[in-house]
Amino acid sequence: MTPRQRNTGLIATAVATVIFITPFLYIFFMAMKTKKEAALFLFSWPSEWHFWANLTEVIQARNYMLLLAYFNSTVITVGAVTMLIIFGAMVGYVLQRRQSGWNRVIYGLVLAGLIVPPAVVPTIWVLQGLGLFKTIHGMVLIQVAYGLAFSVLLYRSFIGTIPRDLDEAARIDGATPWQIFFRVILPLLKPVTVTLIVVQSIAIFNDFTNPLYYLPGKDNVTVQLTLFNFQTQFQSQFNLLFMNILLVTIPPLLVFIFFNRQIVAGMTAGGVKG
Amino acid sequence: MAVSTSSVVLKSVRKSFGAVDVIKGVDLTVAPGEFCVFVGPSGCGKSTLLRLISGLEEASSGVIEIGGRDVTHAEPSERGIAMVFQSYALYPHLSVRDNIGFGLSLAKLPKAEIAAKVGAAAEALQLTPLLDRKPKALSGGQRQRVAIGRAIVRDPKVFLFDEPLSNLDAALRAQMRIELTDLHRKLGATMIYVTHDQVEAMTMADKIVVLNGGQIEQVGSPMELYNAPVSPFVAGFIGSPKMNLYDGAAAGMTCKTYGIRPEHLRLTNDNARWTGTVRHVERLGADTVIYLQVPGLGDMVVRADGDANPAIGAYVGVSPLVGREFHYT
Repeated sequence: MTPRQRNTGLIATAVATVIFITPFLYIFFMAMKTKKEAALFLFSWPSEWHFWANLTEVIQARNYMLLLAYFNSTVITVGAVTMLIIFGAMVGYVLQRRQSGWNRVIYGLVLAGLIVPPAVVPTIWVLQGLGLFKTIHGMVLIQVAYGLAFSVLLYRSFIGTIPRDLDEAARIDGATPWQIFFRVILPLLKPVTVTLIVVQSIAIFNDFTNPLYYLPGKDNVTVQLTLFNFQTQFQSQFNLLFMNILLVTIPPLLVFIFFNRQIVAGMTAGGVKG
Repeated sequence: MAVSTSSVVLKSVRKSFGAVDVIKGVDLTVAPGEFCVFVGPSGCGKSTLLRLISGLEEASSGVIEIGGRDVTHAEPSERGIAMVFQSYALYPHLSVRDNIGFGLSLAKLPKAEIAAKVGAAAEALQLTPLLDRKPKALSGGQRQRVAIGRAIVRDPKVFLFDEPLSNLDAALRAQMRIELTDLHRKLGATMIYVTHDQVEAMTMADKIVVLNGGQIEQVGSPMELYNAPVSPFVAGFIGSPKMNLYDGAAAGMTCKTYGIRPEHLRLTNDNARWTGTVRHVERLGADTVIYLQVPGLGDMVVRADGDANPAIGAYVGVSPLVGREFHYT
C-alpha cells in the first residue's frame, strides 16, 4: 500500500464515519437530555444525563405500549420473513426446474410485483372483504405479498446454479418432491436465505407506512408507530421521542452488524449464472 | 455375496422429446449379473436410455422390466436401482456419512442399522477416515467412491453408471476401471454402464451395446464386436486407433465400404498393396502409429512395432493381413 492509497483510505473512512455516526450520536445525545434542553435541538453534550428517567418513561408511556409494539413487530417480522423464505424458495424452485410454457408468463407476473406500486385503498377493500383488516395476520400477509417478488427473483437465479443431478440423485434415493425440496434444495439456498432474512426483517421491522394504513387500532401498534406517542399537535417531548428512536433502532442494527458479510455474499451468489 | 437374479429387459422402448425421437425402438436383454456397457458417440441416446431404465425419464412407449417385474411407470425409487452420475451429484451440505446414508434415512431405517450399513460400505471403499468430511474437501476419486458408496448401501438389484469416470484424470480412470470391475465381481449385481470411451467399454464389459442415432447398432461381447463388427459404424467405433474405412470403389473392391484395422496392416517392401507417404509418426514405446497419405484413398493409419521409425516424407508400402479385412455392402 502506497502512502497515497493509505491516506485516501483514511480520509474515506473519516468521511464515512462523520456521515453515518453523526446522526446516530445526535439521536443518542438527544435521548439523554431533559425535555427543555432537547427542545433546543443542539448538537451538544447533555448538561444532565437522564438515561434511566427517559428510558422508563418511554417504556411506561401509554400503559407499556412500546413493549406491546415490540411484541407485535416481532410477530409480524418473524411470521412474514418465514413465509417469504419458504414460499419464495418454493416458487423459485418450481419456476426454475419445471419445463412449462407458462413459466415465462408467471415469471413476468412476479417481476410485475417489483414494478407495480401497491395501491392502498383497494388493498384495504380486499382485506376488509377477507376479514383481515386490522389483524396481525393480515399485516403479515401484506408484508409477504409486498416482499415475495424480490425473494422469488433471488431464489430463482440461485437455484439455477444448483445442478439438476442433485434433484435426480435424491429422487433415486427415494425422496419425495417435498423431501427433495426441504432436505436437499432448501439447505443449499442458505446464502440467499441469510440475505433475505437480513434485508426483509430490517425492512419489515422498520416499516412505518404499511402498519399505519393497514393496522390501525391501539392494540395493533408496531414499533415505528410508537414514535407518535411523543409528538402531538401542541406539545412534543423530543428527548423521549429520541429515546424511542434509539430503542427501536437497536434490533435491526444488531441484525445488520451480525449478518452484513453474508448479505454481500448472497446478493452476488446467484449472479454468475441465471 | 449373492449373485443378482435381476435381469433388465427392454421391449421396443421409444422416447421422444416433442417432435424429436431420441430412442427409436430398442429391444435389449441384460442378463442377471452382467456388466453391460452402452457406447456410442454423443447424442446417440445412450444416456437417455439409461435414464429411461432409471425412471428419471418415462418411456413414450414400450415396456421396461427389471427382475421380471414391469416397471415402465414405476418411480425410480421403486425400481431397485441405484445410479452414479457423471457429476457424482453428492449433496454438498451433507458429510460423507450423511451422503451415503441419505437414502436409508429417507426410508426411516433405525439409526443403528444406518450406521452399520454406512460403515460397511465405507469400509469396502476405503472411505472410513473421510466419513465426517464434506464433499468439497474430497478429491475427484474420493468423491467418485462416495457416489458409489451411496449406490451400494441401497443394496440395489441393478447399478446404473452414467459416464462415471469422465471427470477423472487418465491415471485415476485406469485405477477406477479396475476397482469397478472388482466391485462388480464382488457384488455380483447387474450393472449398466454408459460411456463414450471405447477403452472403458472394451476393458470392463461382459456385453457391449453400440448405439447410433437412437437405435442399437450391435450387441455382443467385446471380442465379438472387435472381430466381427456388423457395420462400418461399429467397426469404426470399437478399436483404437480407429479402423481405416474407405469407399469400396476407391479401394478397388466391389463392396460399398472397405475396412482394415491399423494393427492388421504390415509395412512391407515387396508386393505391397498400397504405397503412401509418411505424414506423421507417433512413437508410443510398445508400438508406433504411422499416419500415411495414400494416393487415391486418403489417410491411412498403421500400427507397427515399437522399433519401426520411418522418416517423415518417406514412401512405404503396406499390405493387409489375410482374413482381417472387412467388406460391407
